[in-house]
Amino acid sequence: MNKKYIIGGGIIIVFMAFMIFLFTQTNISYEENFKEIMVSSKTVKATGSWIKERNYSVDKQNKLITFYMKDYLGAEMKVVFSGSIPNNFESSTSLVVTGKYKDGCFYASDILTKCPSKYQEESKKNAKT
Amino acid sequence: MVGNIFITIALLSSIFSFIMYYLTQKGFTNTIKQARISFHISAVSVIVSAALLLQAVLTHQYQYGYIYNYSGSGLPTGLLISTFYAGQEGSFLLWSFFTVIIGLILLDYTSKRGDLEQRVMMVFTLALAFLLVMISPLLKSPFNYIWMQDTFIDVKHINSSFLSMPFIQNFLMSDQTANQMFIHMNRDLHAALVSNGIALNDFIIQGKGLNPLLQNFWMQIHPPILFVGFALSLVPFTFAVSALIKNDYTEWIKQSLPWLLTMSMVLGLAIMLGGYWAYGVLGWGGYWGWDPVENSSLVPWLVSIAAIHTMLVQKKTEEKEGGSRFVKTNLILSILTYIFVLYSTFLTRSGILGDASVHSFVDPGMLVYWLLVLFLSIFTLIGFGGIIYRWKYLTKTFNFEENILSRELALFTGAAALIASAIIVTVGTSAPIFGKTVETRFYDQSNLPIAIIMGLLNGLSLLLKWKQTDKKELFSLLKIPVLITAAVTALTILVGGVTKPAFILFAFSSYFTIVINAETAYKVIRGRKIFLGGYIAHIGIAVFLLGVLATAGYSKTEQADLVKNKETNILGKKVRFTGIAPIDNGKKFAFNIELADGGKKDIISPVMYRSDFNNSLMREPAILEGFLKDFHIAPLGYTDGTEEQPAGKNIVMLDKEKPYEFNGALITFIGFNFSDKAREAMMAGTDFEIGAKLKINLKGKENNYEAVMKTTGGNKELIPVELKDANIRITMESMDASGKVALNISNLDKEQDSSVKQPREVLSIEASVKPFISLVWIGVLITVTGLAVSAVRRGKESNI
Repeated sequence: MNKKYIIGGGIIIVFMAFMIFLFTQTNISYEENFKEIMVSSKTVKATGSWIKERNYSVDKQNKLITFYMKDYLGAEMKVVFSGSIPNNFESSTSLVVTGKYKDGCFYASDILTKCPSKYQEESKKNAKT
Repeated sequence: MVGNIFITIALLSSIFSFIMYYLTQKGFTNTIKQARISFHISAVSVIVSAALLLQAVLTHQYQYGYIYNYSGSGLPTGLLISTFYAGQEGSFLLWSFFTVIIGLILLDYTSKRGDLEQRVMMVFTLALAFLLVMISPLLKSPFNYIWMQDTFIDVKHINSSFLSMPFIQNFLMSDQTANQMFIHMNRDLHAALVSNGIALNDFIIQGKGLNPLLQNFWMQIHPPILFVGFALSLVPFTFAVSALIKNDYTEWIKQSLPWLLTMSMVLGLAIMLGGYWAYGVLGWGGYWGWDPVENSSLVPWLVSIAAIHTMLVQKKTEEKEGGSRFVKTNLILSILTYIFVLYSTFLTRSGILGDASVHSFVDPGMLVYWLLVLFLSIFTLIGFGGIIYRWKYLTKTFNFEENILSRELALFTGAAALIASAIIVTVGTSAPIFGKTVETRFYDQSNLPIAIIMGLLNGLSLLLKWKQTDKKELFSLLKIPVLITAAVTALTILVGGVTKPAFILFAFSSYFTIVINAETAYKVIRGRKIFLGGYIAHIGIAVFLLGVLATAGYSKTEQADLVKNKETNILGKKVRFTGIAPIDNGKKFAFNIELADGGKKDIISPVMYRSDFNNSLMREPAILEGFLKDFHIAPLGYTDGTEEQPAGKNIVMLDKEKPYEFNGALITFIGFNFSDKAREAMMAGTDFEIGAKLKINLKGKENNYEAVMKTTGGNKELIPVELKDANIRITMESMDASGKVALNISNLDKEQDSSVKQPREVLSIEASVKPFISLVWIGVLITVTGLAVSAVRRGKESNI
């Protein structure tokens, strides 16, 4: 067997094994159903929309933002996020929050706001009516 | 419409050119002329369409859906031009534009080199045809009229003098919830406008505008440079396939190398500019977030760097010993570079990533999706099919053993490590396809050991001789560099406070690269300067990696509220918010912050403004840049004191009979004290009182309490429940129709803070110190310079 394949291939195989191990440690699933999230203790990426009717509160001392999200079925969930509010939070149509559900709250470590051009969303809405 | 005609001509003539080149390859002699002419027609048509789109952008031709959707009036010229490639259609046209420009140069280059032209240009024109299909009028042309699809246009973008016309009323729609009016643009409205003699361009007078995040100098130059890199990546692919067709593998390396080096240089620069934008504008707080779009330009770059190194081995061995080493590897890597460009295009443009990326591209539709799949599969099939077809010949003809201590083997191992990194990044980026994603530490932790290995191999490979190295000689060569490296590393540990073993190794391997390359470069510098390219590029990469280590491992971040004109100590600087200044004709606000460090005073101004584009508060960080460290301030929010904002809230929603624990007490909500009288008063809008009945269990003792919300004369008054023993204060915030209650449960001793009104004019910021982030930019620029020098050198060597 050629030495270069043993060494080069060896490097790739070792890192692939390492990668698979890391993947099992760091992978996060998307979850759209909040009921599922509430019974699980795994870190997930919860996708849903921000309930704007219920104001969000900011705890400046502890740098916590609390707001409510609902999923596509209408189930609501309280989200506590520590960190700075992302740029277009106020206008976002949907949110992806990363974190864990614990004791009645979803503790998020990351928020991704999606603002897929509000015009299009509204256009779709209008188109239906 | 003229634009669409030119795109169609370009597409048809690129297909015709492909067929003619194919026939030439099959042995016809009278077809090459037609192939060249039709390629030129295609190229000119693409250039004309790009010029037409540019003109349409500059003159605000909103009758084109693309221009309405991505451009707008009132932008400065530079930004207006950048709306050309703000959307999918325009960016594919830009990609096609650079592809034909490169194609014209490539045609000239290959036509001088025997029968190379027909094979290379055959593959090239096929790829061009695929790009043009993406923007063909039937799919997503930037020249398609806005009425060809149902579009809803905000009335504020319509010339208001037409709105009162009777026939318009049928197309007016209102959205009560958003309080907006729309015009339903479709074929019928267009017909009605035409019959009334109204030009579309007079009817629509404004576009949706450019995303404010892209309104930045770096975003004007980053996409074009990236697309030059993407367009260039096709060239090594065509050379590799051309070699497979001819079954002759000696010449193509020399011919392909200058193109590959140029591509790596351009793509590397583009990636860095994207990172600089993320750092300076996006407010991620960093330059790299392992975002799918970033990753997908990084992977082809990694593969191209691996290819450069193994191709150099083949070139060297051909010159020195007449045999060709790493032939298969070079074919695979050259093909893989372009395949990864196509794969990343597929990932980022097909809509498959969905929620995974901050770059939210609009779902392009199934047709585009399948076309991208087809594009990717055909080119994978051409490339790897060719290799499989020739495999037997290749393994029989090119079969060499490498010695352990040879430069060949070291470079091969380095390439393997780069490929491992490319695979890892690809797997992580592709995870959303399976509904998963990975934390960023997946990338960090897996690439850290690879970077260490790369650094060590980089230095070592320069000390190793081709073919075989004497062990003793190697050790004597290693002695001094290792001593210097160890000394600098020790200094880093002692002065820099680097203590983590992995980081120490990382620093060691980066220093090792610098020391060896500097030493070698010093020896070469007296000779031909053009030979320095590789060493410069290596030093650049090592400098870059040191910058990454410093910023990733040793950045400090702190959040703070800055009261106007009050000095606060943050991360070793005296920080003072001095006031607000309106900029950009009052559209934006600059928040001036004075930073004092010893006797030195600097003022930096983060910016916040409300953008009409997405109706959002936009926050732009400000950076005090320095060689040793950057002081980065991201604005979070601003209160001007007109609103009372109690701090320290802990709002809890409680269901009936579900206890909540706070400071050791179990708080249970029993129900509301809400009499019929109060309900009537509430309806009538007169004074009323609601109570939330609570049962609190503290150390086994249970008592009942009531938190009251009272309205007298329109003023809300909250009467809290206070428990001194448990340090609890509970106020009722609101009641919920579903029977829940919102309570503010906080610590009683923090009561002072929460009841005190916030001082006037407070700017909340996140400040961070990023040590040696300058090395990240400097390192990349050094690498780019090195690649440029190498590209020139290898270009000269490929001359005939």
